Order: sequence, then C-alpha cells, then structure tokens
Amino acid sequence: MKKYFKIGLILLLVLIVCTVAYIFFDRKKEYTKNLYYMDTYIYIKIYETNKAKVEKVFKDINQMYKEYHELTDRYNHYDGITNLYDIYHNGFDSETLTLDSRLYEILEYAKDWSKKYYKLNIELGNIIDIWKKYRDNKEGIPTVKELQQNKNGAKLVLLGDNKIVNNHPNLDLGSIAKGYVTEKVGQYLESIGIKEYLINAGGNVKVGDSYNKEYYKIGIQSPVDNGELLTIAKGENISVVTSGGYERNYEYNGIIYHHIIDSDTLFPSNYMKGVTVITKDSALGDILSTSLFLMSVDDGQEFIKKYDAEAIWYTNDNKIIRSERFNNYE
Amino acid sequence: MNNSDLKLIGFIMLVVTIMFGLLLVFKNSSSKNALVYYEDNLVLTIDLNLSGEHEYKVMGYNGEVIIKTKDSKIKVEEENSPLNICSKQGWIKNSYDVIVCLPNKIVIKIEDKEEIDTVVR
Repeated sequence: MKKYFKIGLILLLVLIVCTVAYIFFDRKKEYTKNLYYMDTYIYIKIYETNKAKVEKVFKDINQMYKEYHELTDRYNHYDGITNLYDIYHNGFDSETLTLDSRLYEILEYAKDWSKKYYKLNIELGNIIDIWKKYRDNKEGIPTVKELQQNKNGAKLVLLGDNKIVNNHPNLDLGSIAKGYVTEKVGQYLESIGIKEYLINAGGNVKVGDSYNKEYYKIGIQSPVDNGELLTIAKGENISVVTSGGYERNYEYNGIIYHHIIDSDTLFPSNYMKGVTVITKDSALGDILSTSLFLMSVDDGQEFIKKYDAEAIWYTNDNKIIRSERFNNYE
Repeated sequence: MNNSDLKLIGFIMLVVTIMFGLLLVFKNSSSKNALVYYEDNLVLTIDLNLSGEHEYKVMGYNGEVIIKTKDSKIKVEEENSPLNICSKQGWIKNSYDVIVCLPNKIVIKIEDKEEIDTVVR
C-alpha cells in the first residue's frame, strides 16, 4: 500500500511540475493580422498572452497604417484631412497651409535627407505622374522633352509649426512612407510591452525580439527568380528593407521600366537590379535602400560606411556584392 | 525507494519519451497545405500533397479568383485586376513564398514549416 502511495505522490509531483512549467513557459500565443494599405499587403505577427489586448493592438495598428496611408496619399482626397493630394490640388487662396503634425514630420524628415543625398527627392511628383500615365496605359514611354518640360515643379517650403507655403508642390513619399510608418508601429508595440513581433510591409520588414528561438530568419528574395532567395538575414531588433525595380514595372520594347526615378536622367534608375539594407530603424532603412538604388554600387559601398547599416546588392550582371560586415547577419 | 519503484519510474519515463517522440514525428510529417486568405479571413485550405491537377475558386474583391495546384505547387490561374500581377507570378512551392493579389485582397501562403520567418521582396 505504502509503495503505491509513494508512486502516486511522484506522479502527482510530475503533474504539478509540468503544469507549472506549461503555465510559465508557454503562455504566449502567436497572433497574426493582414492589412492592405499604401498599395501594399502588410503582415503583422505578435506574441502575447492577453487576447483582449491583442484585439486592441491590431485595431490601433490598423488605424495607424490607415491614417498614414491617407496623409501620404497623392491620388485621393479624404474629408477632414490635408494630405499630399490636397497640398498639390487645393484651391485655398491662403499663403500657408497647416498640416497634421505627423505629415509635417515625415516631410521634414525627407527634406532633411535630401540635403544629405540630393537624389532622394520628394518633389518629383510631376515626373512620377507622367511615368504612371504611361505605365497605366501599358504602352510607350515619355520623351525626354516631355519630362524636361515638367521637371521644375514648385519646391516644398517648411515654415515650422506644421506650416508650409501654399505653392502647390507635387510631392511623393513613396520612398519613405512605408518604412516610416512601420518604424512607428514597431515603436508603438514596444511602448506597450510587446517586444516580440514581426512586421512585413511589402519590402519593409521590421522585427523585435524573437520568441522561443535564437533569432528571426528573414529571406531576401532574388530580384530575378521568384521564389529563390539571395540569402537569409538572421537577427533580432533589426529592419530589412529592399528597393528594386522588379515589383512595380512595365515592359516596353523589351526594356523594363520601374517606378524609382533618377532625378538626373528623369528615367527609372538603372544602376542595379536590387539592393537590400539591414539597419535598426526601418525609416532609415527605407531611405538608405532607395538612396543606394539611385547610385552606382561602387558609390553605394562608400556611402553605406557612414551609417550603422549593412547592404547587399544584386548587380545588372547578376553579381551579388555585400558591404563589409553584412556577413554578421548571415 | 526500492528497486521495483525505480523500475516503474523508469517505465513511465520510457512511455512518456516514446509518446513525445511520436508526437514530434507526427507533427513533422503533417501534410503540406496552402492557405488562402480574403482580407483577414482564412477562406480556403488546400492540401498540396494531392496528386494531379486541381482547380479551386474563391471570391476576391473584383470577382472570382481561380487557383490551380499541381505536384505540390500552386498558382493563380485567373483573376480580374488592372495589372494581373498575381496571375503573372506563376507557380510557388516554398513555405516562404507568397502570392498577393492586392486588388482582390487575396493572399496565398504555403503553411510555414518555421524555417524562414518572412521574406523581404
């Protein structure tokens, strides 16, 4: 009798230990969300224990992407806000416009950057519109004359206090907005105690701490073969951002014309097939990857040294080139 | 604690280990599925281990989206959108591949084997 009691006691102990371990070690669950904003499929994954909190978090993130989407939309007007469309098209006769502080901040951030690298230009709206017209019609390309005639649009003038001069500049934040908002969303998650997360917003990946493993594995897609990976970046609390001409483009006379415009030639940039940047801040990552895409690979290798960032290039002749310490992430 | 106690404990541990092992084996040999989402909702799960060609239809934002599978691969055969990006993409087969039909708000993923967390493209 005593023997069975002993065994029973051991089994009970095992049961208790397992239960306690289960409660303490496996409380967090994975939650995912799909969103569609900024012409992009956005995928979010977080690890949390509290389901009610998750619902609120996803609602908040949806709201953030939605609001930034509307503020940076250059094709549509939304009631109650002044966005890029309104800055260009508004009929107000006031000399200045007061913007939402969030939009003003992005514009300030981008304008600051254009001083560091002149080709990172958000004032090319006229040129982008011309290219978009041809891309939508899937036929032909603009003439150099047509592009030259339209290149000198109004410049953005920031006045402080969220005010700009109402001179109708035709602005485009396509190179910045997604990375910028994704960074804000990551910061929001961290601020409410969700440290373990993954965000993939079309070419912009940001991850926090990993959950139940050493690090995240982020595949970098090859610009030429869909489904093949250039490499796998491994890390935590990093952003991985790609710029390339192989996602949004059209073909005419056997040549592919994509959406990232070189302000020198007014034609799609043609230095490489793609470039991917790894850095902490997703907004910086987006800006750096666009900048690198607009300069030669040689110039880019020098340029990237000034930043706490690494890059991998895929050249026009299908060579893979890495910055000095890129392999720290492989 | 006498000898037979130890034997029993050993036996229990052995059973637990075997069950755990079986669980792992079954978990890994689970079939390869493609998951089809409309907006945020899973609308279709497709078994990619079936042999031969199969066709599926789901409703997208712009109407019907026709999906085809063959030899563990999947593609979008037909959909209504301005640029037809997702039907031009062709076959995908890896767990990290994804087909996005943005105008139709349809996403097709191959069930994650947890090898790669996400892909930047």
